[in-house]
Amino acid sequence: MKTTVKEERIKKQLTQVQLAELVGVSRQTIFSIEISKYVPSVVLSLKLAKVLGKKVEDIFKLEMSD
Amino acid sequence: MKFLLPHRYKKIGAVIAPLGFCLWLAMQLGYIKSLLLSIFGQLNASYEWSAYHIVNIAAAVLGFFFFLAGLYFVSFSKEKVEDEMVQKTRLESFQFAAFLQIIVTIAGFLFIMILGDPGESGMMLFFITLVVLFWLLFIGRFNYILHVKYKQ
Repeated sequence: MKTTVKEERIKKQLTQVQLAELVGVSRQTIFSIEISKYVPSVVLSLKLAKVLGKKVEDIFKLEMSD
Repeated sequence: MKFLLPHRYKKIGAVIAPLGFCLWLAMQLGYIKSLLLSIFGQLNASYEWSAYHIVNIAAAVLGFFFFLAGLYFVSFSKEKVEDEMVQKTRLESFQFAAFLQIIVTIAGFLFIMILGDPGESGMMLFFITLVVLFWLLFIGRFNYILHVKYKQ
């Protein structure tokens, strides 16, 4: 799955720590999501989308291999 | 998981598990009895047997109890930030430990079938090893994965 969480976070001028605190996870989880090592749950995806001011499908996109 | 202990129990477990194991090992290797003999000297045969035996058994039971309690504390303590990635890592580590335990169980029984009956104490040691192995594999894998992720 492709993600634009990092790009959207930078646009919002948020650090990984700040974003992590806003959605209630660790910084390592945000990092893992940004490098596509971890696929977040629906709840966390919705929280991320809300904080970043985007729709879930804007920040997470399916790839051919998914 | 709702039954996880607070994070501080992990540190307590990390201290008492090795201590308990050392105590149990010291009893198994006869160091406790040697220590008692060096401090109190040779006692009357019947008294020596009963007093030293009781201390030995108590050391073994206490050591093993502390070891298991330590493993429990380390395994079932929350991380500093207990989020869904940590929970997923915990679940995957349980699966990993269960898979390897089955492999070791099958290998152990094949080994016994080929080499013959290891005796009652041998079988007891084999079953204790199987139980402890599961928790050691789980703790090892879980903390290794978290360590790698936290380093990033």
